[in-house]
Amino acid sequence: MNSRGGEKLVKREIEYIEVCPECGSRKLEMDYERAELICSECGYVVDDKFIDPGPEWRAFDHEQRIKRSRVGAPISYTIHDKGLSTIIDWRDKDGYGKDISPTTREQMYRLRKWQQRIRVSNAIERNLAFALTELDRIASRLNLPKSIRETAAMYYRKAVEKGLIRGRSIESVAAASIYAACRQCKIPRMLDEIAEAAKINRKEIGRTFRFLARELGINFKPATPIDYVPRLASALKLSGEVQAKAIEILKLAMQKELTSGRGPAGVSAAAIYIASVLLGEKRTQREVAEAAKVTEVTIRNRYKELAEKLNIEIDI
Amino acid sequence: MGVKVENVVASVTLNQRIDLELITKNLENAEYEPEQFPGLVYHLTEPKAAALIFGSGKIVCTGTKSVEEAKRAIYKIIEDIKRAGIEINDEPEITVQNIVATANLNAELNLDAIAISLDNTEYEPEQFPGLVYRMNDPKVVLLLFGSGKIVCTGAKSVEDAERAAENIYKTLKELGLID
Repeated sequence: MNSRGGEKLVKREIEYIEVCPECGSRKLEMDYERAELICSECGYVVDDKFIDPGPEWRAFDHEQRIKRSRVGAPISYTIHDKGLSTIIDWRDKDGYGKDISPTTREQMYRLRKWQQRIRVSNAIERNLAFALTELDRIASRLNLPKSIRETAAMYYRKAVEKGLIRGRSIESVAAASIYAACRQCKIPRMLDEIAEAAKINRKEIGRTFRFLARELGINFKPATPIDYVPRLASALKLSGEVQAKAIEILKLAMQKELTSGRGPAGVSAAAIYIASVLLGEKRTQREVAEAAKVTEVTIRNRYKELAEKLNIEIDI
Repeated sequence: MGVKVENVVASVTLNQRIDLELITKNLENAEYEPEQFPGLVYHLTEPKAAALIFGSGKIVCTGTKSVEEAKRAIYKIIEDIKRAGIEINDEPEITVQNIVATANLNAELNLDAIAISLDNTEYEPEQFPGLVYRMNDPKVVLLLFGSGKIVCTGAKSVEDAERAAENIYKTLKELGLID
């Protein structure tokens, strides 16, 4: 059977069976390794031997996906022509792999040169090409994954379409797009980090970001302190238990509205600090402060606040 | 709900050019450094206010705590300019440009929740602890803080500021963000 038919079949199954016939739970889970549809509440196997419509290979990151995928080049917003234009190959070979004659070679050389010049056809595209390389440069320095670069490029293109670049530097809009993409994808980078990578004033990026958000009509949800926990914990080489504890503390803090109006990085750092002390993997305030790029005083204030309001007892 | 006016900015035009050098010579409390800023800065102690006087004949008065005070300050400034030896014929027309007021909602606010449920908001705890809310009617900008204190800027009249405070209180109440 072709995979498309399989996909339809499985989809219909999922849509059809929504409730576990045994316990009535809606939490049905697909186990692709066993090809079973299982109720995660009672363990009842609702359906089995369905067809997996996905590829037969697995990929864990973007590079592997590119290597293993056998379909054509995807369009990418990070290239100014979306990667759709054709390029004359640099190898002087014909369709059979044979060398071409010196006259044609010369001709191809000139053609190639002109094609490269024509590829970026006008000032708008030239600007876009420049902006996108800048975008890529900042993203590379921050080690951001491909998905974020694509999102950032999307925002930048939208900004260009709406004519928002005028009166702002390309660099600052590029940096703000990256910040926006990070927020959107819930792996927040602090403004300071982006400012450092982009070599632009942090305030300028913040201002441009707010402007973009307003003009593009995108309401970015405020970054929560929880988003920062995994990063901080791994930077401080803390265990998963500490992470879980910190998240638990933060959830309580958010319920009690202790995070309102406080910088997420500081609150997150304080929670990590408390969790590390409670679970006997103590990190000093200084270490935590350095990792979170906030001051020790901020951590002290936040942690006192949290400990007091949440009745956590700490002896150091 | 009581709002407290913190600052009133009013402007006036005298419809004639003013010789700023002459004022600097004849008046104390006048700072004029054309290299730095084209306007002359003039400080009053009663009512406490600061004014920018420009060569074009326009005056901007800031720092007063009420509209009446702002008017009083401007009349006083004009008197002072006359004393400095400049003739002024026109009756000045004073327009209030901006009023900044504060109020207290007397309740802790959950800014995260407000940012999600209200439109036209801006909440970036990383950059500023307050939530910025742009209200359309009256057209003012409100800053909401976690403590429940609010700041209203951009109002053209005290009534606008009061109405804005009432409106935000009602809106928050309707959305169940305040108890």
